[in-house]
Amino acid sequence: MNSRVIVSLRVAAAPLRAFEVFTQDIGRWWQPNELFHFTPRSPGRIALEPGEGGRFTETLANGKVFEIGRVTEWQPGVRLALTWRQATFAPDQSTHVEVLFEPVGDETRITVTHTGWDSVPQDHVARHSFPDGLFLRRHAEWWQQLLAAFRVRLTP
Amino acid sequence: MDDPFHRPVFVSAVVYKDPMAALDWLEKAFGFERVMLITDKDGNLAHSEMKFGEGQIMVGTEWTDYVASPASAGGRNTQSIHVHLADGIDAHCERAKAAGAVIVRELADQFYGDRTYSARDPEGHVWSFGQTTKKVSREDAEKASGLKIEGWH
Repeated sequence: MNSRVIVSLRVAAAPLRAFEVFTQDIGRWWQPNELFHFTPRSPGRIALEPGEGGRFTETLANGKVFEIGRVTEWQPGVRLALTWRQATFAPDQSTHVEVLFEPVGDETRITVTHTGWDSVPQDHVARHSFPDGLFLRRHAEWWQQLLAAFRVRLTP
Repeated sequence: MDDPFHRPVFVSAVVYKDPMAALDWLEKAFGFERVMLITDKDGNLAHSEMKFGEGQIMVGTEWTDYVASPASAGGRNTQSIHVHLADGIDAHCERAKAAGAVIVRELADQFYGDRTYSARDPEGHVWSFGQTTKKVSREDAEKASGLKIEGWH
């Protein structure tokens, strides 16, 4: 259970401001992926409720709210962690996302670590028949797109 | 807008026996930044990317028989990466030394107007770093070096 996807990006903002935009504006900077969907009716509107236990949701066009996961750590300006499940996941299948906000000079390095894909079997529909390495690479590239879009929202 | 994950035309894959240690060391010594790391279910490095300015490298394992770290090849390099800095070459050299880089060519001004140094990393890759500190004409460079130069910048 050791597979990890780690993506980092430096942004020209203080850690607290980066954290605020990351969490409060998530619905504005989030980019749906063409391949990886949370539900068969995705994409919808992504939102994150503040604080530990807050819900990470996608509101679909028909008004239904899908709970992607919950906030497991909420340290403004320092660290955010949440769980991440797709609608097709069995109860024992779950992934975990940790976002670190680390000051580097006047800037902030955002590091996303996405773990838990080992809990999703190779033949699961969520993997789209990709071999493990390629699947993780595609996911890492999605995180790169997400962080790039987040940076535009943060520092237009 | 500029894409922070834009891929340059040339990207070197640099091979290490211990690529995880290399990621840490290259950041500490040379200031390269890790932008992507993927590990497999056994926790081994599957893919990684580092950036420095507009440049990019991949740091990888000895994943097949036609690649090797210099540490597995008697210290020989078959390719070497040159990194061109906009500024701060002296501080960069100090930082590399402090992190344990072995200086194989001391920091010095070259006849073509760059100030350069070369350093060996823990597995034997030799990196060179330079910064243009003086504008030199082709005539002066030819005179100083005794070489015939074509395609001068």
